[in-house]
Amino acid sequence: MTMMETGADLGASIERRRAAYPLKAIRQQYGETLAALAAEEPELLVLTADLMHATGMAEFGARFPDRIINVGIAEQNLTGVAAGLAAAGRPVIVDGYAAFTTLRALEQAKVDAAYNGVKLILTGQSAGLSYGVGGPTHQTYEDVAIMRAIPNTVVLVPADAREVDACLRAAIAYDFAGPIYVRLGRGPEYLVGDATPFEIGRGKVLRDGHHMAIIANGAMVFEAMLAAAHLADEGIGVRVLNMHTVKPLDAALLLHTAAEVGAMLVVEEHSAFGGLGGAVAEALSEVRHGPIRRIGLADAFPPIGPTFELRDALGLSATHLVRHAHELLGGAR
Amino acid sequence: MALSNLTLPLDLAGLSRMARQNRLDVAEMFMAAGNGHFGSCYSCAEIVTVLYFALLRVDPARPDWAERDRFILGKGHAAPTLYSGLIRRGFLPEEWIEEYETRVGSRLMTHPSRRYQPGVDASQGALGHGLSVGVGMALDGRYRGLDYATYVLMGDGETNEGSIWEAAASAAKFQLRNLTAIIDCNRLSVDGWLADVMPMEPLADKWQAFGWEATRVDGHDLSALLEALRPTREPTGRPRVVLADTVKGKGVSFMENARAWHADTITPEQYASLRAELGADA
Repeated sequence: MTMMETGADLGASIERRRAAYPLKAIRQQYGETLAALAAEEPELLVLTADLMHATGMAEFGARFPDRIINVGIAEQNLTGVAAGLAAAGRPVIVDGYAAFTTLRALEQAKVDAAYNGVKLILTGQSAGLSYGVGGPTHQTYEDVAIMRAIPNTVVLVPADAREVDACLRAAIAYDFAGPIYVRLGRGPEYLVGDATPFEIGRGKVLRDGHHMAIIANGAMVFEAMLAAAHLADEGIGVRVLNMHTVKPLDAALLLHTAAEVGAMLVVEEHSAFGGLGGAVAEALSEVRHGPIRRIGLADAFPPIGPTFELRDALGLSATHLVRHAHELLGGAR
Repeated sequence: MALSNLTLPLDLAGLSRMARQNRLDVAEMFMAAGNGHFGSCYSCAEIVTVLYFALLRVDPARPDWAERDRFILGKGHAAPTLYSGLIRRGFLPEEWIEEYETRVGSRLMTHPSRRYQPGVDASQGALGHGLSVGVGMALDGRYRGLDYATYVLMGDGETNEGSIWEAAASAAKFQLRNLTAIIDCNRLSVDGWLADVMPMEPLADKWQAFGWEATRVDGHDLSALLEALRPTREPTGRPRVVLADTVKGKGVSFMENARAWHADTITPEQYASLRAELGADA
């Protein structure tokens, strides 16, 4: 075992692994998937609030000008109009940034979609720190907690571009009468290399192991996989769960995992309050389990910065996950 | 008023009787609950009555009929006025009146709910939502080639909400001629005269500046409402707003233009007096 690496060695080792993976921009994938869906779903409409040139929808707009409705910079009206359009069953996707979809137009999401029982796909781009240089008006760390607290909602956090595609398709096909919130990043993110089927409400086991589990979603899935690969070389078996669906949570998978591993790390690019970590802790609070450590953002407005550096500075990277694993297992191993 | 005797559309005399019945039904609900939004309900009794008994293309046997005209009560706290219309029109059973707000699971509550009430097109209650949802429904009708009309009834105080003006701009952009906004201009909100709380007049000028066709009518004049609210079924053209000048608490002398009757408790003596004024036993 080589767990006594210096910090610099650990970082370099992680970065060498990272460099082997390809990247793809989330908004590029979003635009490609929606264009494909427009061709496949003749009734599908996308509503935007003057953001299609920012969310990767410009090509969609050029190819399908009649399938995108632009309401201008008016997000409350955006969600309200979308709910009216979708009330008779038409598939409708609300384009937008997570900050505006879940905060500016929150009451419309609750009343017009969730309470009214209208299926609406609410997308939230640039979530987490994926627009790190945008600062706290555009960084979004509270959206998952907010959206999962509203009754009659689904909350999805896809891991990478491939899962963004699968997730949007699953959302269109999902039989549900309420808002489906799809949390999205923005720029290039590493491809996890996972091609297993995406099913709403079913977590994925991406890697098996019995010493501990890392439970992650969004961009943190890739960081979890990097950390697990590193830890495997040290002889530590890490099970990695991709919990892309925060609501409805796959409680059966969590209970099963809690019974089989010694400790759990839950990591998300979101406040440590009320997101995936909160959901997992709630689900496991009434059963016997080993230590759970929740890794998320502290209760403070983060600084600005380029996404990957900012994540690392705030503890959201594979390097930090390896350190947490060592601490969690230190006494037990 | 026996449902079986209705021949639709009602004539002016029938509409007048139905508006009176509406106020009595509303009072019965509020008496059961102990209190209610009398003022807000009574200012729009004629508007709702004219729509449901003379103008709307709806069918109680098919509340989800794709071609039905849509009605959204943006000022959701006037729900009992809508409930009376839906009950007397045959969408909801009359027995529901007595369960208004009285027990866990009551199917009639302060604000209308699409979840529990057949015939309600959109749950409302939080102000400023209805017009956006109406814009979406009017757009969907155009996309589907259906000629239904969409009506959204708002309070004049509700137009304080910024989202109303987002929706107003978008309806004009999309040229939703099949959309009619109705503003119940009773000039009072919870805290007092709108002119003092947050002045919105001249409302006609504002709506016209947003690209709407605006007309102003006496909101208690049945024949004027019949004319002004005639359905527009053309898919494109300027959206229409009808500014209905009304009296908050209309029909009951001690409630008219009285700020406190926006929502208040009612005593058995006041209830008896209200019923006498409305000619309950006539």
